[in-house]
Amino acid sequence: MLFFSFFKTLTNQTVTIELKNDIRIRGILKSVDQYLNIKLDDIEVLDLDKYPHLSSVKNMFIRGSVVRYVMLPRSEVDVGLLEDATRREAANQAGKAR
Amino acid sequence: MSFFGFDSNLPRDRQPGPSATRGFFENPDPFAEVARARALEDDDAIDFEDTYDGLGDQLDDDQDAFNDDTFGGGGGAGPSTGAVGKDFDFFGKTATVADAIGEEQIRYTLQNPQAVLVAGQHVQPDAQPEPAFTKRSGYEKYSDPGFIPDLQAKSSVWGVSQKKPEPIPLPGMSAARKMMSLDEVEAQMQMRNLGYQPSPVPQAMHPHLADPSAYMRHPQNIPLPDGFPTIPPEVLRAQLERGGLPPGMPHPPPGMPDMHGPPPGIPGMPPHHMQGNPPQNIPPQGIPPPGMRQPGPPPNQRAPQQQQQQQVPPPTSRGPNGGLPVITDPQQLVHLTEEQRNAYLVEDAKRAKRNHKIFLLSRGNGLMTPQDKNFITRIQLQQLVAAAGNVADADPEAVLAEDFYYQVYSQIRGAPRQHPHQPLGHFAQTYLLQTGNRIGGHGNRRAFHSADNHMQRMQQQVQRAVEAAKAKPKNKQLIIEGSLGKISFSNAKAPKPMLNIKRPDSSEGPRPKKLHSDLSLSDRKSILTNIEGVYSGLMSMEDMERTMPPPPEEGDAEAIQEHMEWRQKARSLNQKLWQSLKVMEPIVPNSTTPHPFIAFLSYPKGKKAIPRIFRHIDQEQRVTILTMIVVHLDSLDVVHLAQPVPGEAQLSLAMREAIDLFSLAVMPSLLGYVNEAPFNIIIGLLGLVIAQTHVQTVARTRVGLGILTMLLSRAEIVKEAGQASEVDWQQWVAKFNVLFDTLEPALADIFTSPINSGDDMYVWQFLAAVGIGASPEQQQRLVIAVKDRVMETVAYSKTLPADMASSRLGNVNLFMRAIGLDVELLG
Repeated sequence: MLFFSFFKTLTNQTVTIELKNDIRIRGILKSVDQYLNIKLDDIEVLDLDKYPHLSSVKNMFIRGSVVRYVMLPRSEVDVGLLEDATRREAANQAGKAR
Repeated sequence: MSFFGFDSNLPRDRQPGPSATRGFFENPDPFAEVARARALEDDDAIDFEDTYDGLGDQLDDDQDAFNDDTFGGGGGAGPSTGAVGKDFDFFGKTATVADAIGEEQIRYTLQNPQAVLVAGQHVQPDAQPEPAFTKRSGYEKYSDPGFIPDLQAKSSVWGVSQKKPEPIPLPGMSAARKMMSLDEVEAQMQMRNLGYQPSPVPQAMHPHLADPSAYMRHPQNIPLPDGFPTIPPEVLRAQLERGGLPPGMPHPPPGMPDMHGPPPGIPGMPPHHMQGNPPQNIPPQGIPPPGMRQPGPPPNQRAPQQQQQQQVPPPTSRGPNGGLPVITDPQQLVHLTEEQRNAYLVEDAKRAKRNHKIFLLSRGNGLMTPQDKNFITRIQLQQLVAAAGNVADADPEAVLAEDFYYQVYSQIRGAPRQHPHQPLGHFAQTYLLQTGNRIGGHGNRRAFHSADNHMQRMQQQVQRAVEAAKAKPKNKQLIIEGSLGKISFSNAKAPKPMLNIKRPDSSEGPRPKKLHSDLSLSDRKSILTNIEGVYSGLMSMEDMERTMPPPPEEGDAEAIQEHMEWRQKARSLNQKLWQSLKVMEPIVPNSTTPHPFIAFLSYPKGKKAIPRIFRHIDQEQRVTILTMIVVHLDSLDVVHLAQPVPGEAQLSLAMREAIDLFSLAVMPSLLGYVNEAPFNIIIGLLGLVIAQTHVQTVARTRVGLGILTMLLSRAEIVKEAGQASEVDWQQWVAKFNVLFDTLEPALADIFTSPINSGDDMYVWQFLAAVGIGASPEQQQRLVIAVKDRVMETVAYSKTLPADMASSRLGNVNLFMRAIGLDVELLG
């Protein structure tokens, strides 16, 4: 749930998402769910020339499994907290595994 | 009153002599034996042997074509007896043939008018109780406005005195049927098939009624036999409604006794009326529920209710001659004006349509018991709870464990959304509300008025469901016996794993690691492991802090006890943290490997941990850490790796970042302690710096100078506040003198950055701290040592914009004022 928890804090931030088919989409992250499906608003496709079929798309729902990268606004990430959250997650996982 | 043609009347009621006409089985007179038996004596029950006429022997096995009609075999698909199971619906089956029984009764009364007259009291009481009897049949009857207990009376109206027992339809019969042309029949059938729009049917038929009024006389005008109830107009009207629709009243099978010729004098009557009005006698249980206005097959063909809808009445094809007959009192229709009748029929059609719809919807009514519904609801709720991540329990600990980053981030920065579990909790609540309404307002007649009660029950159920879900051991997969694979479960918190990696047993895992860390305390891996250990200790302490019980009140033993336990736990955690910090590891002089704690500090993670550590340790531990840092000052990475390299204007970026981080993370913590430290500790620390470290090396670094400044300024503050005893002060001055003497040769080198970098404030601060504590003679030496830098800076600042110049001069002035001078004087 770490990533879910993390992406939840990025709602209403502008993120750039690169899909596994190389399409890169910048937009406002509206919501994310536990499968890391993503809802983007006010989207803008980078390299729109290559993907003209997306030129009229204004918002989209992206299935989590097709996402390659999510590029985040750095200022919105609390690194120290994220480290701790990661530690907790690891501890939780370890606890569950045993 | 006999279906099979037996005379079921008690012998005493029966008229002597075989009846003139017979229903079933024409040739072997079914009553012959009865009559004979009666002739033999008696009013007693009939002996079977006496009455048995050997009919069974004459039965033709090929002639069972209507067994299905009789026994509800459904679609006439062969003998149905094989399908009769344990749950054979006796009542329903009987109901389906009840009409026929009624018909038989009527027929009998018609055959034997005297019998009716004499036995009216017997026959009628027999028929009258039927409503009470049918009450058990269920709800359909209640909603049937056309429910009429008994209408046999009407049949006698026609005054049928004799019938020709013809198994084959009579000419009159066929004539009546011919009143509709084939086209009309087809049109009617089509209309029927097109969703039961019946209104045109009667309309189409009326013109063919040669003389409807002839038989549509008002019932009151009709002489009724004794014992037959007078039919109230409402009932008639209801009957009319019902009769307005029946498109499929089929042609009764030949051989049925209701095929008798039309009563004399009523040539235009629709077939059913000519047949002795059988439908009037349909007992309510045979009447379709209001939803299915579609008239069924002949009464004796009616299947039990559930089947009736699906079952397209096969006889439909035989002709719609039954279209009207159920209008038992067509007089009403006739008396109405044309518009009224049309309006009425249209309305009726609408109602029929609606009822049909309701029926379709209600087809599944009652299939599930309340227990079934509850079970399903529970499953749904469990899913919901699992999907929502145990929102229902709202345990902050669990939420924090699952959603730590979001929770804390929201607290720190203000959540972009509302409280995280609010939408979910809200969702669950909405669901509950919905459920409550639904159940309260819809199903469950019993609880119809107690929606609140239901809400409570639902809530309890949710709670139980949640508890059950929690209590259930979390099986992540299911292996069904005999299956080739595993079925993994997934939920929101633990999505279905793509890979199932077997973890090594925990007994094998940590051992090599331990061995490793024993071998070397200061290699990179073990240092990082130590750091992680510190962090986990920190986190558990922070968790501990969160669960701190409120300070106990006087006399509350339990609270005190609780508090004590908490303190105990906190102490043990503190010890754990302290050990993982490895501050107390013995100092090995001249060792090539740095002390574990110093190594710890050489990593950014370690530096960042210091402020958090300081929050959780006591003063003694703090001073221990400070001491450890001071002792190893020149082996700190930010000191010994931060020596200015000749020819390089700046340190490497990584080192500058490390220094910045140390200044931001570690120094404030140390300063925080030093600002409250007793004077003797300051003296001791200064002594350690002088004794244990290479002061000139330390002094060439920002961190080193910072720590020295810290100590010097604290001493000055203590002196100013008059808190220093004379002895301590003498001790301090002695140490200071040593320091000053050691530093003096290096004073020119402490400015590591070129003058234009602007990054020398910390040096001026240090010089100011030294200057304040220095004797006048030392101050002079100090001025001499740094005079050039002062002059350069003042000159350089003149080339800068005003604000930058003033800040640079301000830095210099920090030092100048400390020794009683001012840059203005240099101007």
